[in-house]
Parts: sequence; C-alpha cells; structure tokens
Amino acid sequence: MQNIILQKTAKLILIIMTAASLWLLIRGHNNPGGGFIAGIVAATGLILYAIVFGSQKVEKLLKYNTRNWIGSGLAIILVSIIIPIALGEPPMTAMWTTISLPFSISLHTGTPHIFETGVYISVIGIILSIIITIMEVLKWNS
Amino acid sequence: MANLLTVLIASLFLATLAIPVIYRLRTNGTGTFLALFPLLIFILLGYLLITLNPFEAGIGDSSIAILEGMELSLRVDGLSLIFGLLISGIGFLILLYSSFYMANQERQKSFYLYLMIFMGAMLALVFSNNLITLFIFWEITSVASFFLIGYNHHREKSRQAAFQALIITAVGGLALLFAVILTGNITGTYRISEIISEGIHLGNHSRYPLILSLVIIAAVTKSAQFPFHFWLPGAMQAPTPISAYLHSATMVNAGIFLLLRLYPLLGGTIMWKYSLLITGSITMFLGAFSSMGQKDLKRILAFTTISALGTMMLLIGIDTVNSIKAALVFFIVHGLYKGGLFMITGIIDKSTGTRDIYQLNNLTKSMPFTALFTFLAVISMAGLPPMLGFIGKELIYEATIQMPQLSWIIVPLGVGANIIMVAISITVFYELFIYQKKKITTKLLIKEKAFPTSFLVGPAILAFMGLLLGIAPEILENAISNSIYFIRGQSIKITLSLWHGFNEVLLLSILTIAGGVILFLLRKPANRFIAHILNLFDIYHLPSIFNNLVNTYLKVTSRNTERIQHGYHRFYLMTFFLVTIAITSLHLFKITDIPFSLQYFSPVKPHVLLLIIIASIAVLFAVFTKTRLSAILAMGLTGYSIGLIYLFYGAVDLAITQFLAETIIMVIFVMVIYYLPTFAVLSTRTSRIRDAIISIITGLFITLVILKAELIKPDYRVSDFFTENSYTLGEGKNIVNTILVDFRALDTLGEMFVITMAAAGVFSLFKFQIKRLKERKKDS
Repeated sequence: MQNIILQKTAKLILIIMTAASLWLLIRGHNNPGGGFIAGIVAATGLILYAIVFGSQKVEKLLKYNTRNWIGSGLAIILVSIIIPIALGEPPMTAMWTTISLPFSISLHTGTPHIFETGVYISVIGIILSIIITIMEVLKWNS
Repeated sequence: MANLLTVLIASLFLATLAIPVIYRLRTNGTGTFLALFPLLIFILLGYLLITLNPFEAGIGDSSIAILEGMELSLRVDGLSLIFGLLISGIGFLILLYSSFYMANQERQKSFYLYLMIFMGAMLALVFSNNLITLFIFWEITSVASFFLIGYNHHREKSRQAAFQALIITAVGGLALLFAVILTGNITGTYRISEIISEGIHLGNHSRYPLILSLVIIAAVTKSAQFPFHFWLPGAMQAPTPISAYLHSATMVNAGIFLLLRLYPLLGGTIMWKYSLLITGSITMFLGAFSSMGQKDLKRILAFTTISALGTMMLLIGIDTVNSIKAALVFFIVHGLYKGGLFMITGIIDKSTGTRDIYQLNNLTKSMPFTALFTFLAVISMAGLPPMLGFIGKELIYEATIQMPQLSWIIVPLGVGANIIMVAISITVFYELFIYQKKKITTKLLIKEKAFPTSFLVGPAILAFMGLLLGIAPEILENAISNSIYFIRGQSIKITLSLWHGFNEVLLLSILTIAGGVILFLLRKPANRFIAHILNLFDIYHLPSIFNNLVNTYLKVTSRNTERIQHGYHRFYLMTFFLVTIAITSLHLFKITDIPFSLQYFSPVKPHVLLLIIIASIAVLFAVFTKTRLSAILAMGLTGYSIGLIYLFYGAVDLAITQFLAETIIMVIFVMVIYYLPTFAVLSTRTSRIRDAIISIITGLFITLVILKAELIKPDYRVSDFFTENSYTLGEGKNIVNTILVDFRALDTLGEMFVITMAAAGVFSLFKFQIKRLKERKKDS
C-alpha cells in the first residue's frame, strides 16, 4: 500500500509495539504480562507492518525464516528444562539466583525467565509463520 | 569402572552428532573414525572380563534418571560382559568393514547414524540394571533396525522387510512393556540387581503365567523363533554389514539375552521349560531344514541363524547348569562364525557381483585369504576341532543327553539339525572354493588384493578368535561361572576344554560329521526332496499370510476411519457438542445435594449487564447477518466484550490475551474472507433449525455447569494453593504468570507444541501452492 501516512504510522507502531512487548516480557513475573502476551503484542506490530509493506519486507526484518524463530524459541525452552537436570533436580524445576551487577543493581532471575523468553520468541515465530503463509497464498504483496 | 562404561556408551550416542562433520572432512573414513568408540568399549570390557570376580557383579549407578525409578544404572556381570564384548567387538569390525563397503554410496550419514544408535542401544540394553530402561533400549533397537533393514528404501522389498521386522518386533516390545510393568508392580522394584539379590521368583504368583507368556512373546519375536521366524530371511534386504551385525551377535540375540536375564525371576518352571523346548526345537530343525536348497549365500546364512537361535532357546529350556553353559558358549561361537561368514559374503559380493553359490566358481586362486577365513569359519560352524564351535557342539550334546525327560526326541532333532549344518558348511565351502564349474564364468570385478586391509580384517579376526578360543577356552571360564552364578544361583567353577575323552558325546559328534558328509554327497536328491516338502507347505507361506493380515487390517481400519473422519466440519462439531452434553448432563444431575438458588451470587453490576447486552446483540447479529464480514466483526465485538468483562473482574492477563487473540483472529479472517465468494445459502431450513437447537442446548449446558461449579465449595480450592504459594514458591507476584511458567510449565510447553503444530500445519498445507506461485512468477 503506497500510502506515506500509513507507512510512517506502521513503522512507528512497530517500534512502540516491540518496546511494549519487551517491557511486558520483563515485568511479566510480577505484573500483568508474560512471554505469551508479549509475543502476541510483538507479533501484532509486525502483522501491521506486513499488511502495509508486504510479507517479504517482514521476512527481511526478521532476518531469519519464521520457522527458525519457532525452532530457536523451542530450543531456549529446552535449555530452561535442561538446566535443572544438570544441577540434579527434576526437569522443569524453577531455579532462581540473584546476580549482582555493577552500579549496585542486583538482578533476580531464574529458569522461568529463560522459559518465558523461549515462549516469547516462538509465539512471534508461530503467528508470523501463519500470517506470512496466508499472505503469500493470497498474493498479498502490495 | 562401571561409571566409565556409562560414559563410553553415552559417547556412542553423542558420536552421532559428529557424523556430519567427519563426513565432510573425510567422506569414506567416517566408519573408521567411528570404530574408535566401540574399540574403546571393547578394551574396557576386556579389562573388566579379566578382573571379573566369579561371584560378584559390578553396579554403576548414575545420578541421571528418566523418571523416578527409571534410573540409568549399569550392571556388569558375566552375562552382560559376554554379550557386551561381542556387541562392541563385532561392532568395531563392522564399522571398519562398512567404511569400504559403503564407500561412495548414498545416504552414508544416515547409515552411520542408525548404526551407532543401534550399537549404543544394544550395549545399553545388555548392561541395563533397570527393567524400564531395558525396555526403552529394546524398543530403540527395534526402531533403529527398521531403518537399517529398510536402508535401500527405493526397493519395495526392503521397505516391506523393514516393515515386517518392525511390526513383529514391536508386538514383542509391547508385550515386554506389559511384562515389565506387571513385574514392577508385583516386586515393587524395577532394579534387576535387587530382584536377583533378594531372590524374588514369581513362580507361585497368580499372574505368573501372564507375565511369562508376555516375556516369551517378546523373546520369541525378537529372536525370530517359530512362528515369527520369517522376518529374519526377509531382513536380508539390508546392506551386508547390517546383516552381519544384526544377525550375528546383536538384535536377534536380544531375546536370548532377555530370557537369561529374567531367569532368576521367571525361570525354571514347567511352563518355562516346555514352551521354550517346543519353540526352540521346532525353530532349530525348521531353520536348518529350510537352509538346504537355498542358493543365495545370505539366505542360507539367515536360515542357519534361525536354527542357531532355536538351539539357544532350546538350551535355555532344558534348564540345567550344563545347558545354560552350552547356550552361552554357543552364543559366542555363533556370533564369531556368523559375523565372519556374513562379512565374507559381502566381500564375495563386492568382488564378483553375485551371492549365488552355484554361480561362483573356484575362488581359491583369486581370493586365497578369504578362502582361509571361510575355511576357519565353516569348520567352526560344522563343529570340528580345534575350533570353539567344537566345544560348543559337544556342550550342546552333553546337555541334551543329560536331559531328565524328553531326551529321546530332542537328541535326534539336535543331531539332525547339526547334520544339516555340517552338510551346509561343506556345501558352501565346496561350491565357492573348490568345485570347478565349466559352464559358469563369473568375472571378478575387484581383486582381493585391491581391497583395503580394513575390509578383510573383520572376518580374519573373527575366524582366528574362534580358533584361539577353541585352543584356550579358559579365558571364558570366569565370565561363564559368573553368569551361571547370577542366572541359576549356583556357585560352580566352570571348566571348558577342547578334549573330553572318549564318551557318548564324542560318538554323537562323529556320527554327526559322518551324517553330514553323507548328506553332502547326496545333496542333489536331498535338495529336491526338501524343495518338494517346502512346496507342500507353501500355502502356509508365513510372510504372505502376514502381509494379508496387515492388508485386511488396514482395509478394515480405513473403512472405519472414513466413517468417523468423514471430513464434514459441522458434523464433527455436532458430535463433539452432543457427546459433551450427554456426559455433562449425566454428572450435572447426579450432584443433587447442592441447592440451586440465585441468592448465592452477588448482584450483577450495571456496566457488566450493559456489556452482556452488547455481546448478546452482537451474537444475534452474527447469526442473522447476510455477509461474512459483518458476521466476523460482530463476533469480534463479542470477544472484546468478554475481554472487558475479564478486565472488570481483575483478570488483566486474561483480558490482554483475549484482546490480542481477538485482534489477530479478525486480521486473519478479514484477509481470507476477501477472497471467498459472497454468502451462499447452502444449508436447508431444517438443518439450520437443528443446528440452532443444538447450539442453544450446548450454551445452556455450559452455563449450567459453570453455575453449578460455582456452588460447589470444597474445603480447599486449587486457586487457594496458587494464591498462597505463588510468591513463596514461584517467586512471582503475578499468579497467572507463575502458574504458566512454573507450576504448570509443562502445560505451557504442551501448548507451545500445539500451536507450533498449527503453524506447521498451515505451512505444509500451502507449501506447494506457494512454490507454484513463485515458479509462475519466475516464468513470467
């Protein structure tokens, strides 16, 4: 769609949505949000971008094939499952630790965060994979 | 030491990850590199064999458990050492052999992958100290062998053979699983070492006949016993290294191993003895009998393998110290000569291009070394001194003669089978290497000298091992004493020697050899006679009966599937709804002690009421509208209203998810709808009324169920658990999120898989269409 206002808006919305999704992902464990929701938010921004610029542009933006996104998301989930096994606990046990960073910031993190990141990435991959496939079949390449 | 063994066996599996890299670096050296792994295991096992105490078993527990009670723990005793040594040793030789045999062939990477997985699973199977892990590795060997047998998958015969082998061994695997679970429930442990040390025997338990039959089904299918023997000759479709490996020391012997392993638990009863005696003796004789008159060298070897497996089964059934000893020695004998002979078959096939023994002509001059190895292997097979085969056969005769009952039938059967074995040994060697056939001129494609050493070293080592162990059988005594101690619980020092003195056993041996020579001289009429008899039984041709059975089954199931999976979406939904209503109404009206009254509910707030009204109007609009687009928009409105209701009741996460999901669904719908034809009235008036009734009832029922569920007040609610523990255990203030990623993370994982599947489904549905579109674009 060759509409300059729409194109600018889509770009802006993409940036806002991505930032929002990362924010939702990070705060998710204590406030409303989480990997799944954040993934859908990011995907929504990308879908708008796809509708405006065509599916090929989104594929370029994502750098890798959507199926690779799904796979890497699932692989990250696998890492969060394996870490407890390596530490002698049953798989999928939540393990927490506090990492102290410079400037007296301490980061409380654990395997659920890794799990969540994996969910986030694969949700983006899954939704876009479906949308891009449908767009390609419908020749939705403005 | 046992822990080192765990690491080495695991390294077999991990080595598969290196295959693509090695393959890229040195395409035809992949096998040689991979051979290092089984060689290391063989060396370690050799060390363990030398240091083995006759009446002790080493247990190696690793901290890794698949699930509770299914730990990966190893048991090193005589039995597992004997099997493990043959598996790793022959595995090493096979990998060396494969690197030349498979050179420049397609799909080498997958060949090595399956072979390594098979080898690792086989070793893990024999060393497993846990019945469940034993079962898991048992199944892995079945699956890996399916891929190995069907390696040449462009040939229909290979595919069929692989399928047969898989189905039959999988039936056995299923039986084994049931047996293992039953055993675990009765004994309270899956650990083999505990079962043996506590002396648990199920002989008097009421479930004993069931467990024993299941175990015997598992062993009989895996070890190709009558009436399941037919998959083994079919499996000769595999590449020769695979046949050499699977059918000498590994796959088919797993059944024998299982019986010996479970002997302390199940063995020694009358049922055990007779069932094994019957299958074993039939298989032993049938295998030997069918091998006469075959032309293909590989098929001859396949039938003699069946016969040998039958012999081992029979010996386990005889159930004396001597018979178990004989079975173990014969297992080693058979592994050595059969592995060697299969490899020799491959060598001859490579150099001449045929495996038909009547097409091959006087190979002694052209391949002298092969002739020597064949000679050694063949005299071991015929059971002549000074090979280990001689000791093996003497032990078998001794065991059969000393049988308390039934020796009058078993001894003649055994002698008969062995006479045929002797005759076949002579025939094979004579036709291949001695007899000058004038009419046939098979040309040599590759000379023996052109073969690399790694190709010839396998049969050489196996043949000379047979000779070495024949001269110095003392090496095996410790391992066999240890095995017998743990199998039969008797601490006896076993001695093996080549010469037994003049006795009735030696007399039988001489009789056998004389009979074999006579049968060899009369082989032409004998072959004709056997062919005639086999023809008579051809109507009972088991592979085709099996195929018919499978085909009929497939026909029946596909007819039923068509009936259930008819492809009409609305009928699926209808079935689903009606069944749900039926089941819920059953339970809904059962719970009568809770009074249903509106006073239990808080009053409806006005803004919620407004939302409900909007949602209801939207639904009604969606039902009666004439265009698709407005129907979808109306549905979207309903979805958003529900999302708002979630929000009003404080479920922020749910509300966000609902909004986002609704948005994406609308986007997809709008995209697709654009390309659909405008609304067409396809349904009749009656069917619409029927649909309306069903949907109203469904909605009503769901509402009733939810209302009723709200009225049931259990003492402790699940939600209370989460409220209490989400911060303390889950370390998160957002309860929904701690449920999603911590308490119920497995569910989330499952959902991820489900939506991944959905994405994969969409992609694969349209893949070809997209490809076609792109090609058309390129053309224009």
